[in-house]
Amino acid sequence: MEQRVRSISVASLAWRIAATVLGIGLLLNGSLLMSDDAWPFGPLSQYAFSPSRNSTIVITRVEGLLADGRRVNLPLRVETAGISRAEIEARIPQITANPSLLRSVADGWMSRHTAEPALLRVWLVQDQTRLVDGRVGPIRLVELAAWELPS
Amino acid sequence: MRTLRSVVSWFMPVVPESRVAVLRTVLYLFVIIDIHLIVRDPIPLSRHPELYQPLMIERLFRLPPPSVPLTITLYLILMVGGLLAAANVLPRLAGGVVAAAFTWWTAIGMSYGKVDHDHLALVVALWVLPTVGVIADRWRSVERSRQAGWALKCIQISVIFTYFLSALTKIRSGGWSITSWPESSILLWAIVRRPHGLGQFLLPYPELLHLMQWFSFTAELTAVVVLWLRGRALLAAAVFWMGFHVFTLAILYIHFAPTAICWLAFAPLERLAPWLRRIKARGRERAGGRSAGHPVPVLRDQAVDGGG
Repeated sequence: MEQRVRSISVASLAWRIAATVLGIGLLLNGSLLMSDDAWPFGPLSQYAFSPSRNSTIVITRVEGLLADGRRVNLPLRVETAGISRAEIEARIPQITANPSLLRSVADGWMSRHTAEPALLRVWLVQDQTRLVDGRVGPIRLVELAAWELPS
Repeated sequence: MRTLRSVVSWFMPVVPESRVAVLRTVLYLFVIIDIHLIVRDPIPLSRHPELYQPLMIERLFRLPPPSVPLTITLYLILMVGGLLAAANVLPRLAGGVVAAAFTWWTAIGMSYGKVDHDHLALVVALWVLPTVGVIADRWRSVERSRQAGWALKCIQISVIFTYFLSALTKIRSGGWSITSWPESSILLWAIVRRPHGLGQFLLPYPELLHLMQWFSFTAELTAVVVLWLRGRALLAAAVFWMGFHVFTLAILYIHFAPTAICWLAFAPLERLAPWLRRIKARGRERAGGRSAGHPVPVLRDQAVDGGG
């Protein structure tokens, strides 16, 4: 089958080259100098850091006290709490300074679990796993913030 | 002058436009899947204005903070625009709108503290695909162009840079050291944090994890060579990287689907339409044969045909 080649103007060539150079430049600049704030031209920093052989690995969770006395884990997923774990982890300093920010998790969870008893209190907690010379060591539970829901 | 010309034709090779037409269909349909399965949280996130931290791009373009009506509007635009663009209808308009809306949608998804990096190639693809313009006969186009070649090259570079730049970032974050990331406890850290995959079984073997870190780091750092591979070697590289993604999915439960799908920018997608045509023709032949009263092939007929 015969194939035709579409023509291309000099201007068309020129802006494409300029865009390519600019794009590659922005990407290199992002990776070498910028932070995540520069998305989509920021550094590809997921899993790019280097935890030491004796670091502490934290898993942040939110626990809630129900009206019937049970203390339950409120899974930090969009489907169950309206917000994900990473989003809460990025806000830990703000939440410890102002625990009422946990309202978003409490509200998100309650609106998706209407059959459950009401939430009275929520905690921001962390499972902290210590590495000992590159191997998994002891785990401990740490409470970072607590918030009473307004009744 | 000759160097300039060869640089230009490397960045803008003449390729079949049908390749772009097929890739549009796949990627715009993928966008629709993406907003439901991957970056699926902008609408629920927009209910939490107190947690919104606009990215540079949102501040630069003075984008309004996300609200529920806004994110639902973006969602509807992406659905309608995605379907039109997937059909190669109004490629510049629908494609441009999808590019802007998806970039904003994804930026919103990354504005609540966590920024993912698996969307680079897809976002670039959505911005360059409309530049090819109208492709006559779409999947069956017989035209070739540098416009198509440039769009595909940009997507290819973005796919490869996703790996290469992540290796650079690892060197940077380790204090500009080549060995700090591969020798770190990063995989152990990742597995403890995501204890869903097969990785848990590797926790007792930190030496093996270090070996895997060295292997993936080397692969990422050298990924750039893929841009110069052709034929079987390119196929082998594509199979290797698909295997890499399957592996990280199994170990860490992390998928890189938006990057993986963009590998199709390397594939000879122009063969799809003729292949489908052949299959259809064969189906028709068979159906036609039966209706003409030949339930089984008659051997002697073939011999007569073959003899001329």
